Order: sequence, then structure tokens, then C-alpha cells
Amino acid sequence: MTQTLQKRTFTRRHALKVLGGAAGIAAIASPDTLLAAPGTSPFAVLRAQETVNLKWFMWSGSPAEVDAWKHLASMVTAKYPTIKIEFVTASWPDYWTKLPTEAAGGTLQDIISLQSLRTPGFADLFQPLTSFIDKDKFEVSAFDESIIGGLTYQDGLRALPYDFGPEVIFYNKDMFQKANLPFPKVDWTYDEFLDTAKKLTTGGKYGYGAWPYPDSWLPFALSDGATYLDSAGKLDLTNDSLVAAFSKYTELVHKLKYAPSIPSTKDTNYMQAQWMAGNVAMHVNGPWQMINFKSGVKFDFGIVPMPKGTKGSVTVSAGSGFGVSKTTKHADEVWKAVTVLTGPEAEQYLASAGRAFAARKDEQQYWYKNAVEGSQETLEAALKSVVPYKVTPQWQQVSTLLLQYGIPAMNGQTDPKDALTQVQAQAGG
Amino acid sequence: MRRAAQSEAVATRGAASWRIRRRRPRSDTVAAYGFLAPNGIGFLVFTLIPIGASFVISLYHWPLVGEASFAGTQNYRALATSDPVFWQVLRNTFSYVFGYVPLNILLSLGIAVWLSSKIRGKNLFRVIFFLPVVTPMVANAMIWTLLYMPQSGVIDWFLVNVLHISGPNWLGSQTLAMPAMIVMSVWQGFGYNMLILSAGLQSIPVELYDAAAIDGASSWRRFLNVTLPLLTPFLFFAFVMTLITSFQVFTQPYVLTGGGPGVSTTTLVLYLYNNGFQFFKMGYASALAWILFVIIMTATAIQFVAQKRWVHYG
Repeated sequence: MTQTLQKRTFTRRHALKVLGGAAGIAAIASPDTLLAAPGTSPFAVLRAQETVNLKWFMWSGSPAEVDAWKHLASMVTAKYPTIKIEFVTASWPDYWTKLPTEAAGGTLQDIISLQSLRTPGFADLFQPLTSFIDKDKFEVSAFDESIIGGLTYQDGLRALPYDFGPEVIFYNKDMFQKANLPFPKVDWTYDEFLDTAKKLTTGGKYGYGAWPYPDSWLPFALSDGATYLDSAGKLDLTNDSLVAAFSKYTELVHKLKYAPSIPSTKDTNYMQAQWMAGNVAMHVNGPWQMINFKSGVKFDFGIVPMPKGTKGSVTVSAGSGFGVSKTTKHADEVWKAVTVLTGPEAEQYLASAGRAFAARKDEQQYWYKNAVEGSQETLEAALKSVVPYKVTPQWQQVSTLLLQYGIPAMNGQTDPKDALTQVQAQAGG
Repeated sequence: MRRAAQSEAVATRGAASWRIRRRRPRSDTVAAYGFLAPNGIGFLVFTLIPIGASFVISLYHWPLVGEASFAGTQNYRALATSDPVFWQVLRNTFSYVFGYVPLNILLSLGIAVWLSSKIRGKNLFRVIFFLPVVTPMVANAMIWTLLYMPQSGVIDWFLVNVLHISGPNWLGSQTLAMPAMIVMSVWQGFGYNMLILSAGLQSIPVELYDAAAIDGASSWRRFLNVTLPLLTPFLFFAFVMTLITSFQVFTQPYVLTGGGPGVSTTTLVLYLYNNGFQFFKMGYASALAWILFVIIMTATAIQFVAQKRWVHYG
């Protein structure tokens, strides 16, 4: 009896093994392999026809932008038919919350996007591109150097840039014309800026939209020779030069009243929305917004470099790119896709659509062609005096806190120095 | 013989009933566990285990990206001693609770009593007052952001054009932002308690009012000595639930003010969220979560002990 049982068990196991093996073989031998042309290796055929589905995570701010990104994704498939891309998006602030959450949850997408100001904070999620660049002898020199620097962290470049751009002033031409004012010139001074803002402040509208986010006011501070990092690159918001520059900026709201007082908000684009609604005549922004403004505002607008302070017209530049996520299983395909997404054709498309002031130097001309009048002169002037926007790994916290503490300082409720001291105490470590 | 048969029958019956007794409770127990299982598993997987995990995380420096390192009680000590805003955030949370809870209870009680009298279209009113509760909080907060807007907001428009005074910058002011947030929250939340208290009012027997009226009690006396005591179990429920949710307030400051100006409207949960998902300090955020947990448990326990003094059941 024992023998019979043993025998039966053996037989069952045996049968299972045979079945399992057969199933395995069946799985490997897909119809593709079986139909492989005589003379070719079945595995080569299998690999050539295997479609790789990649997920691409990127922020966007309008349907026009989403369409532009989806068009880029289709460019990748056109070049590499086996690579299919699924576009996943979130708003700008949400993107930076979701990205590390996805990483922590083990669901990080394959192609992920990086902005230069966040390079130190998020570099860990990106594979250094050095080995891919070396293998393909990829020409990095075709891109603007400052943005390549901005996306580099420790052991290498983390993303190939698609755009960059200096912060400039966007102005509402209709409001200037209504006030019988000439449009600002490329070499205008801070005094001229003040005078213009004063004259534009009338009938419930304001000349300028002051905003406590660092991107908006640091160019003013830098133009006055202020610094915000110490020589070791650590946050230094409480030095006298910066306190003076920030105090001067807040006066635009609470003393001169050329800029509206601000409600507390988490909406980092609040002042941009005020400008788009025609409530303020001027505000600071980057050339990447051209696509949204051209389709989203009902007035004529222009751009002009930052007004000259005591140290000239200095501005910061920031930009973004796409990289290979640390956890992707298809690093080679992602690299291929990224080279298309930031390739000359894609850059031409993005530049022509106004979405991106191209990071590739040869394609910048296309942005000028479709941007508003005078853009080329403005950007060329701004690029001459641009400095790289250096940041600390906690820059996100710095920006968030500057928004929170800057608002009461702008409204004249707290001392600007106290606001900077609070931010320094919380995010300086 | 008969006796033997009898005793046998008794024995059989006994055995049978024993079997029934045994079988029935067992099958009931299985069924009971079966019915409890979905909720039980959900509670275990989505509540109990995460609570335990969050305590472990609170003992680490745990960045969302990168390696975690053991910190012991450092996160807790940092909160209490070196965090420049933690105590301010705690004060904000308490001032929200002390502002919001009494206002909410008073308003919902008032409206519920008013709607329990004979007035036309009271069901319509109930629906109207309840609507903000079922509307998504984010939508409510967005609308109130627009109402509070300086210069272009509806409230400001009213103050300027009707009362001819200039309105303040509600959400930009460190003194007004918190009251503004409380007002919005009360408008949003009182409908729920109003409905609970309305149900409570309907459960009070009419005879008691009749008896009180015959005894010559004024309507105010009837409210004080009949309505209120019999409503206390409902008030207790409303009070406890409102207290717990108000300690957890998040959406209002998140959407309305972003926690500012400064940190004047940053509440514990918003601070927790910022630390966890903006600044990616998960360990620190978990420590905050545990502090909040202890506060809520304490407040609820005090409620349950104190209820013996003021809640009348039946």
C-alpha cells in the first residue's frame, strides 16, 4: 500500500513536471517565433518585434501643452516603432509631490522629467547619462552650456534638456497704450521701471505684480548685487545685501502701492493669473510660458529684460529636461526615447509652438519666429547677463516658505528681515 | 423498562440539545467572523498596520528618496525643542478647534431648533443647509478664495459698494486669515450636525412638551428643561465627531491659504503634509502624526469621561 501511494505520488509529480515544462515551452514559443522566417534566429525576430511600453511622466499647465507633449511621444514611436509611450501628467506643483511618492512606492515611470532648480533635490531618482553618452558618442555640445550645467549633479548629467530660459518681464501692451506710455526698452533702468509701474497703476489696476516666490524677485536682488548663497553654496538669506534688496522689493506693495497686496495662497501661479486677467501690467516669468500666454490672454504682450539695478540687468536662467529613471527596466529604450524627445526635430516643434526656448542652440531661431515681437532682442540681451540659478537641495522648501512668509512682508504686516530669518531658520540647515 | 426508556430518551434529547447548543453557537461564530472579516481585514491592512508602521518610521530619519537612518527619539525631541514653528502650529490647531467647534454646534443647534418649528418648506431649507457638506471641500474652498479676494472679491465688492468702506485683505492678514478660515469651515460643516440634531429633536416625545406647557413652562423653559437634556446624547455625538475632525483640519488651509501668511493658518495636519510630501521628511511627519494621534485620543477620552456629567440617556 505504501509502495502504491509512493508510486502514485511520483506519477503525479512527474505528470505535473511534464505539464509545467510544456507550458513553459509554449510560453517561449510564441506565434512570432514559430512563424520566424527560415534562416533567422527565432530570438532575434522575437526581440525585434517586441513592443516596449514606456511611461513618461511630465508636468503640464494647459491642454495646449499636453497636446505638444503627446505629439513628441508620437515622434518617438515614428522613429522607433517598437517603442510606445504612455504620457502621464500632473500640474507643476503636484508633479514634484508625486514624483518622489511614486519612487517610494516603487512605481516610478520610465521617462521622468527634471527641472534645473530641483536637480540637487531629485538627482537620486535619475540614472547618470554618462555611459549612454559615451556609448553613442552623443553630442552634448549642441545644447546650451548653462542648462547642461543646471541638470548635472555630482557624477554626471541627469537629464537631456529640452528648454531653458532667463527670467524676463512680460508686459501687457494694451495697458501701456491705454496709459499712453512707450513700451519698455531693452536697456531700461530700475527708475524707469518704477516710473512706468507708477503710471500704470490706475483705476484698480496695478503696474506690477510683485510675488514672493524667489524666481520672481531674485533677479531684482541680483541686479543690485545681492547674494543669497554663501561662498560654500549654503543658503544665506539674512545677509545685509539680500535683506536690503528684498525690503526694497516689498515696498512696491506696501509703501509705493504699485503692486497689489496679496492674499495668502498655495497657488504659486497666482500672480501669473492676475497678469493674464489684466489686473497687473507687468510680471516676471520665463519664455516657456509663451505657449500658454499666446493661447490664454486676450491682449497683446511683449517681453523685456530685467531693469538695470546698481549692478546692471542680471537675471537667472532655469530649464528642464528628460531623463532615465533609476528603476526602469528598459534603460536603453528610455535613452533612445529621450534622444528623440530632445532631438532637433522635437526641439524645432516645441520652439515653433512656443512651448520651449530651445536648449539646442541651432533650434532657438524657431522660437523667435513664433514668439511675440521683440523677443529675440530681449532674450539675446538677457542671455548676455544671465547667471546660473544655483540652488540648495532644500530649494523646494525655501520656495514654499518664501511664499508663506513673503506674503505678510509684502503686505507690510511683518518686517522683511524677519520673514527671511524665519525661512533661513527652517530651510537653511 | 419504561424508566430505562425514559432515561434513554432524556439522554438522547440531552445529547441532541447539547449538539444543537454546540453547533449553533459555532456556526454563528463563524458567520459572525465572516461578516466581520471584510471590515476587519480592511481595518488591519489600512489602519492598524500603517499606524504601527508610522510609529516605526517616526523613529527614523526617513527621506522619501534615499536611505533611512535610525534616529531614536530625535524627531520628537527636535519637534519640542528646536523646531521654530511647531508650537505656533500647535497653537493654530487649538485656536481653530476652539473657534470652530463651539460655533458649529451653536449654529447647527440653532438652525435645527428653528427648523423643528412649524415653518413652510423646512425640508427645502434642510437640503440647502446640507448642500455644502456634500459639495467637495476643495470646490468650497476655491469659491471662498474668490469671495475673500482683495479688490476683486465679492465680499470686498459688497463692503466698498454697499457699505462704502474698504475691505481688508482677509487671507493676506495674519490676524484675519484664521477667523476667515473658521467662518468658511462653519458654513461648510454645520449642515451635518444640523441633520443629526434635527433627528434628535424629532425623537423627543410631544407629551413631554404638552406636560410642561400645562405646568405653565415658557417656551424658553421648555427648551432649557425638556429639549436640551433629551438632546444631549445627540449633542455628545456631534461634539465628539466635530472635535475629532477639527483637529484633523487640512483641506481648508491647504486650498484657502497654503498655511500662510507666515504660518498663521498652518495646522498640524498641513504641517505634517508639508514635511512629508513637500520637504520629504517622512520620519518627522510620522512623529507629528503620532503627536496628533495622542492629542485626539486624549481629547476624546476626556469627552467620554466628562459625558457622565452632562449626557442623559433616556
